Amino acid sequence: MSPLNPGLVLEGLEVGHQGPDGGTSRKPLLSDVSLSVQPGEFVALVGSSGSGKTLTAMSCLRLLPAGLEITGGSIRLGGLDLTRASEQELNSVRGGRLGMLFQQPKRMFNPNQTIGQHLKEPLRLHAGLRGAKARSKAVELLDEVGFADPAKGARAYPHQLSGGMAQRAMTALALAGQPGMLLADEPTSALDKMLERQILQLLDRERRERGLGILYITHNIASVAAYADRVLVMNAGSIVETGPARDLLTRPQTSYTRELLAAARLAPESRRRPPSTERDVLVLDSVGKHFGPRRKAGNAALQDVSLTLRRGEILGVLGQSGSGKSTLAKAIVGLETASTGSITRQLDATGARQATAVQLVFQEPHGAFDPRMTLRTSLQAPLRKGHDLTPEQRDERIAAAMAEVELDAAMLDKRPGQCSGGQLQRATIARALLLEPQVLICDEATSALDALTQRTILNLLLRLQREHNLSLIVISHDMDVVRYMCDRVAVLLEGEVVEVAETKDFFAAPRHPHSQALVEASIPCRADGLWSVLDATAVRSPAPRQGQS
Amino acid sequence: MLQFITKRTATLVAAVVVSSFAVFLIPYFTPGDPVRKIIRSRVAGDAIDDASVQRLSESLGLNDPLAVQYLRWLGDFFSGDMGLSFVSRTPVVEQVLPALSVTFSLVAMALVLAAAVSLPLGIISGLRPGSGADKAITAVTQALIAMPEYWVAPVLVLVFALKLSVLPTAGWNDLSSAVLPALTLALRPISFFTSAVRAGIVDAAAAEHVPAARARGLSHGQAILRHVVPNGLVPLSTLFAVWFAGLLGGSVIVEVIFAVPGMGRLLFDAVVNSDIPLAQGGVVVVVALAVGVTTLADFVHRFLSRTVGGTLA
Repeated sequence: MSPLNPGLVLEGLEVGHQGPDGGTSRKPLLSDVSLSVQPGEFVALVGSSGSGKTLTAMSCLRLLPAGLEITGGSIRLGGLDLTRASEQELNSVRGGRLGMLFQQPKRMFNPNQTIGQHLKEPLRLHAGLRGAKARSKAVELLDEVGFADPAKGARAYPHQLSGGMAQRAMTALALAGQPGMLLADEPTSALDKMLERQILQLLDRERRERGLGILYITHNIASVAAYADRVLVMNAGSIVETGPARDLLTRPQTSYTRELLAAARLAPESRRRPPSTERDVLVLDSVGKHFGPRRKAGNAALQDVSLTLRRGEILGVLGQSGSGKSTLAKAIVGLETASTGSITRQLDATGARQATAVQLVFQEPHGAFDPRMTLRTSLQAPLRKGHDLTPEQRDERIAAAMAEVELDAAMLDKRPGQCSGGQLQRATIARALLLEPQVLICDEATSALDALTQRTILNLLLRLQREHNLSLIVISHDMDVVRYMCDRVAVLLEGEVVEVAETKDFFAAPRHPHSQALVEASIPCRADGLWSVLDATAVRSPAPRQGQS
Repeated sequence: MLQFITKRTATLVAAVVVSSFAVFLIPYFTPGDPVRKIIRSRVAGDAIDDASVQRLSESLGLNDPLAVQYLRWLGDFFSGDMGLSFVSRTPVVEQVLPALSVTFSLVAMALVLAAAVSLPLGIISGLRPGSGADKAITAVTQALIAMPEYWVAPVLVLVFALKLSVLPTAGWNDLSSAVLPALTLALRPISFFTSAVRAGIVDAAAAEHVPAARARGLSHGQAILRHVVPNGLVPLSTLFAVWFAGLLGGSVIVEVIFAVPGMGRLLFDAVVNSDIPLAQGGVVVVVALAVGVTTLADFVHRFLSRTVGGTLA
């Protein structure tokens, strides 16, 4: 490639461990990564977590984690070889010609500085703006990314912003230095569909209006179909497939890509028989929950929630961040007491069993285990109290539960830090199964996982549900998960249930305006045609759709 | 924020009231009748007749219910009437206030010195944990904990006053006489501050927003200066206040060794001489000040670290 190429060009990039034995004795983390992004191009880099996508982006900025180094290949930006650039040159490139948009925006801000203070840094470094000029430019940038009150936004501290607002502010920050090239590392994976669409449209506008080149790292195939010109597929540190978006998504060449696409397309149609009995196991009657002083109406996390869960049913609870989903889950399990109304359990259990027959699967598996305990110790805990089990019986029960969730018993001696997110989420489910629950509540149980792992966990939950005739409540902001799993859907908006409907009817004809917005946002926009083409992909794909009967 | 301030202030008042009540009760648990002690401290001779004891008890209000006595004492106390010292027969407040100002300056000097030494040391070792400099700094500052004041003070006197003759051995006259007591008092805070700063810097440097700042084009030095050091120092404000509060009443040994006329010395003398009003006055003032300083530090910490309790926002 010519050195005058204006775009970002990686050729044969290799990243490995530093040190005397680095690169030789240990396998490189990235090998032979070649890619290019031209101005005005929207290039997607997809792959499951741990495939090296983020590492590729950080290599371009020359900001690798300690202990890693570039061991081969070149990275060029408009003729400048970044692998050989001086620290000074790199500082003017970072945030200047090459911007970076991070995932998890909240953790990427200094908690003790305002958004305005953050924005002033790139404005000073790359645009030479200081003082009042920088201040007004910062407000202008926040206005552009859609802050309703940009002046107030500039004065806000990161923790005062919602997730969506923080991601907008992060976008403003990444664009403040007027970069020609943007590395966007899963900028929307923590956001719900509506916010995701807004952020991506914002980036796409920059692309159209001033020729921003975008390397969009994601595991969200739907958004790739909607926005990307070209797609690169990464697996285990190498690019395994590349091509124009339409071709690659419709005619994937490698089995890995096919698997990735299949996982991303959670079958929308009902994949199971409706529940056999009509008996209710849980009845929520006008449940309300207030935090803080009662008199303020705004303090209600839940208001007048009436729901029933039938035996063997999977009920989806949809809602955006802050709609009260987690409070509802905690109230049902008993981790929070409802301020008003009643929650009645109609289970085939008595006494202590009744109390543990409703179990919760947490969102963040790493947060749900004590980091100092082995999984075995953590799994033994629920069996210690109220069960007259000998240590041998206990171990048998744990082994059986591990087998249920398809985890190797050797995992029991590991600590959470040594496990992947998917393994830990299985262990969380195993722990819930130990107490022989009749109702399982999954609070965003798969939203921290990549698409492939997510699919296997969802299928595991479906199988357990079938085999044990469990009743499931699936709480999620992910429309696809709900559509894939659930018999019925309840929509939560600001603590109130605004709609309950059969899944099929809900996605065909949502009644409440909020539901309509949710359903609409879950359909990609720029390339509407691709969605139907993608359906064809799913048919072509050899990966079996589990759970169909 | 307003709710936080009211809550904290209420806690402060409660702490002062509870501790002052404990102090108020001291005479009831000390052997001997305080009334007889008072008479003995005022009249010569051993003969004390019951009638005069009864008269004095009545005039002092000692026959009233305990709660009434306590409230009267507390009211007098905070309007500046802390009673008369048994020994000097002068108002307690006239002894406590000068002593307080001496201790206040001594502790302030010691802590400013401690901060001046431990900030650079802690930052240096926190930025390169595991380096030679870090190991050396940690070893030396940890060793300081093991050196008790009653050992350090004589050694310092021996070296600087007796051998080198550059500083006075004791007393409280000019700045030079404050150097050795302040230095002695500063050693342990130096050790604790250094390790706190080090830990704070290590934590702050590991935060994900630091590489994010580098990705905006900040140089390594700028990122450290703007995003690591300020964040790493936030925990120090609380520690500083705790030490300030602790040393106000905890500088006894140093004040006695160096003959500094401060609170520690005053309380020491009051206890040795069974001067109950003086001890009561001194203790309550020290407690009130200590709680006040800690509360103030909470406000400062809250201001510096925007996210403490910010989850409700």
